[in-house]
Amino acid sequence: MIEKRRGRFVLSRLALVLGLLCSACSNDPYPSASSGEKILYSSFTEAPRTLDPATAYTTVSHSVTGAVYDTLLKYHFLKRPLELMPGLAGALPAVEDLGEGRSRYRFVLREGLLFANDDCFELGEPGARTREVVMGDVAFQLMRLADPKVGSPVLEPFSNIDGFQEFGAALAERRESDEAFAARPVHEQYAEIGGIRGIATPTPYTLEITLHRPYPQIKYWFAMEFSTPVPWEAVAYYDGQDGRPRFDDHPVGAGPFYLAEYDKHARYVLEKNPNWYGVRNPEWRAPAAVFPSPADEDDVASGRAEYAGRSLPLIDRVIVVREKESIPRFNKFLQGYYDASGIIKESFDSVVIEGGLSDEMREMGMRLGKSVSPDVFYIGFNFDDAVLGRDGGDRSRKLRQAMSLALDVPEFLRIFNNGRGVVAQSPLPPGIYGYEPDYANPNRRVDVARAKELMVEAGYPDGVDPDTGEALKLGFDTANTSTAGLNQVRFFTNAWRELGIDVEIRPTNYNQFQEKLRRGDYQIFQFGWVADYPDPENFFFLLWSKMGKSAAGGPNATNFMDDRFDELFVSMKARENGPERIAEIREMLSILERERPWIELFHREDYSLYQGWVKNVKPMGLSIPTYQYRDLDPAERAALRAAWNEPVLWPAYSLVFLAVLVVLPGIRTYLKERQ
Amino acid sequence: MMGVDAYIWSNLMTVLLIAGAVYAARVVRAQRLWREAAGELWRRRRFAIVVVGIYLGIGVADSIAWVGGVPEDAVGVLPNAPLSLIDRLFLDTREASYSAPLASVEFYGGKALRHPGSHLLGTDILGRDVLYMVFKGARVALLIGGLTSLIAIPLALLFGVSAGYFGGRIDDAVFFIISTLAAIPGLLLLIALIMVMGRGTVSVCIALAVTGWVGFCRLSRAETLKLRELDYIQAARALGVSEARIILRHILPNLAHLIVITFVLTFSGLVLSEATLSWLGIGVDGSWGQMIDGARDELSRSPIVWWNIGAAGAALFGLILAVNAVGDAIRDVLDPRTLRGSE
Repeated sequence: MIEKRRGRFVLSRLALVLGLLCSACSNDPYPSASSGEKILYSSFTEAPRTLDPATAYTTVSHSVTGAVYDTLLKYHFLKRPLELMPGLAGALPAVEDLGEGRSRYRFVLREGLLFANDDCFELGEPGARTREVVMGDVAFQLMRLADPKVGSPVLEPFSNIDGFQEFGAALAERRESDEAFAARPVHEQYAEIGGIRGIATPTPYTLEITLHRPYPQIKYWFAMEFSTPVPWEAVAYYDGQDGRPRFDDHPVGAGPFYLAEYDKHARYVLEKNPNWYGVRNPEWRAPAAVFPSPADEDDVASGRAEYAGRSLPLIDRVIVVREKESIPRFNKFLQGYYDASGIIKESFDSVVIEGGLSDEMREMGMRLGKSVSPDVFYIGFNFDDAVLGRDGGDRSRKLRQAMSLALDVPEFLRIFNNGRGVVAQSPLPPGIYGYEPDYANPNRRVDVARAKELMVEAGYPDGVDPDTGEALKLGFDTANTSTAGLNQVRFFTNAWRELGIDVEIRPTNYNQFQEKLRRGDYQIFQFGWVADYPDPENFFFLLWSKMGKSAAGGPNATNFMDDRFDELFVSMKARENGPERIAEIREMLSILERERPWIELFHREDYSLYQGWVKNVKPMGLSIPTYQYRDLDPAERAALRAAWNEPVLWPAYSLVFLAVLVVLPGIRTYLKERQ
Repeated sequence: MMGVDAYIWSNLMTVLLIAGAVYAARVVRAQRLWREAAGELWRRRRFAIVVVGIYLGIGVADSIAWVGGVPEDAVGVLPNAPLSLIDRLFLDTREASYSAPLASVEFYGGKALRHPGSHLLGTDILGRDVLYMVFKGARVALLIGGLTSLIAIPLALLFGVSAGYFGGRIDDAVFFIISTLAAIPGLLLLIALIMVMGRGTVSVCIALAVTGWVGFCRLSRAETLKLRELDYIQAARALGVSEARIILRHILPNLAHLIVITFVLTFSGLVLSEATLSWLGIGVDGSWGQMIDGARDELSRSPIVWWNIGAAGAALFGLILAVNAVGDAIRDVLDPRTLRGSE
């Protein structure tokens, strides 16, 4: 009897497994989500380190902070090159010249703006869930930027504000000497110190910023989350004590979305913020809260024109899931579970054919978006070096020019980047003022014959160093020590080998590399730079002598110093866009052409794939999320997902059949023997 | 292609090694024990020995270099640079990028090759001939295996024999070092050592030696402990022969078979360790491990690039299998306790 029961037990287990196999036939990663809502699905790879708008400086952080925090100014969604427009402020700031290089920017805030609902507002008024946004909140955030304890990475541009650095110094000094002061909440500390001299709020809705030197680029920083209004309650309340999260994990802002769920290692959810002025007061027709009119033909052709004048945001929710590996992420995109995706290198040749989508992708209704990112990748020469640098005079200059003429960047992009990227002629990428599409740098084409002539003129005929009788020996420092990364460097060293120059690759890890930079112990290196804001100043400052690595510890790792270049830079920096500025930029470029502190390589070109049901995608280049402009068709998505993910069951069934075939005789024998 | 000073050293070392091999061959011929063992070995593993010989030949051909004798129009050759025999065989064979074995066009894009149909194993991402890379890798593999053993085995013998022979405090100290080293995870120690010493062939060899000598040290200590109690050593001691002389004349020759066996068996392990290090991005330039590491992206490409990892994998597999087969036979022939299948 017992044996029989045991046999039945085995059979019932088998039936259970079969049942499970059939019920788990769906591969939907969002089983509980309702298909009718306008939910955008996206993914991220690395957990954001911080969501504090004073320190967040990565694309992954910005994709949250940019949606949760709103700024006084915004970029126009459709116009290219990018153009500023009013955001939380009612208009662009009025600028007043105070003489002696000083100027005052006056921002006026819209009245009646509210922060997103949050528990922290209880601190200000018991029972309150939100409160009105005032300019004091912007001033508070600017003081946080100056606070050395916050550690903001953007101190330099904001130090143009009068008294900015003194405030930070006074704060640090007071904290050092007065422990009771240091223990008080930061907003009280700021008030006690007396705020920043150059920042005033004459009324709750007016902010006046006084600059002690010309810096018209300051306005771009008011379109970034660094200068967003931050409620002091949130900073005081979210201190990581008593089970409350820390402020850098719990953003509280006045943006179009609020962070409804946040598990930084797994997923986060952004919900439409009912307190955002675009939702509460659609009748204002505020420029940053309605869909703009089309700016070019592409906007009309892609259907973006039909959205003109509609209130934002167009979607209800954004669900972002962590996906560490690129291949599963791309496969889920192909199954319809993500709405947008980059194109992984491995699949590039089967997705993109001759710059357009493959037939298979087109049949799926996918669309391809291309955008040139506002960045530049370059090889730099250390001007402190005896062979390559300024001490070598004309000889070194000709050597640098020859090395510049030897590099075939289109071929590099073809081999390593699937041909993606725009060949750089100067530090300025497309979309930045001063970029001229017809400009051709005479030392940035491929001309090995001319390069060899230059080598002779430089005193290295066929690359032979007269001092040693052997090939000229140089060193290329790289922090990318992977085999794939070293191959990219080898591409360059192989090209220089054609000139007879023996460039040794010196792989070092990132920290050792930084140490080498500090010591000045390097000759050639490769770097990239992504713009913070669309202004040529943000590229040329990398070659300004005041930013020199050896002289001032700045980001100018070439240690390039040129009096005329510096003079032009300082003048260009303070000028508004116009013919004079263009003339100065052209002269700066001609200096770089000749001096070659950099060999400009390329500007990255991003290819993105979008599902057919996603509307209004127009990449901005800078890391600015544009969720509020997106729209999608959930019904179409649900239908296509079902069609693309029809379960293929026969392998499972045949496996079960096989298993039964193998197991059944065994069970039979077992039962027989027991009887 | 190698640096200028390096090539003189390389030539010198190669000549010394060949001279050493010739001397060893004479010693083997002169002594009956070794002569018979060598004959037995050849009888058992003829094929494996030939394979190892081919690898050694390639390694030697790549280690002997000289300046000059290069055609004027050769592309990508540095002025007055020393080139090895292998370099000269593959002079001017570069293409732009990937091409499949014996193909006449590029793999992606289909541009015509400069040397259609001449790349037996295809070309890599930078257009280098894969067969050339495989040949270059042989020298690196032999260098790592050989140099590391040359550091590790004397070190192990020094500590092992002195601990075993003298015992007491010395034994305690050596055993303490051994136990400490054995307690640190090998791979972590390797990575730490290379990070400290910097990348490069010599530092990889030193790091591998430092982590790899412990096993043999233990073995030689145990063997010495046993040997020193034997009658003829007791007799030598009674006759007043000095300690150093006893070790040199009586202990070391009796450990010789162990040294040979250990050398051969450690060798293949070391070559494989380098492949692991290359995978972690701290290997030696031009090694097979690096070729395999470079194939990470290639295997997930579509269409897939298989010849790079295939060639490096096959070369690595061939060397290790042959060396292990020879090593196994050496143990059988030299170590009477594990004697198998001897008629």
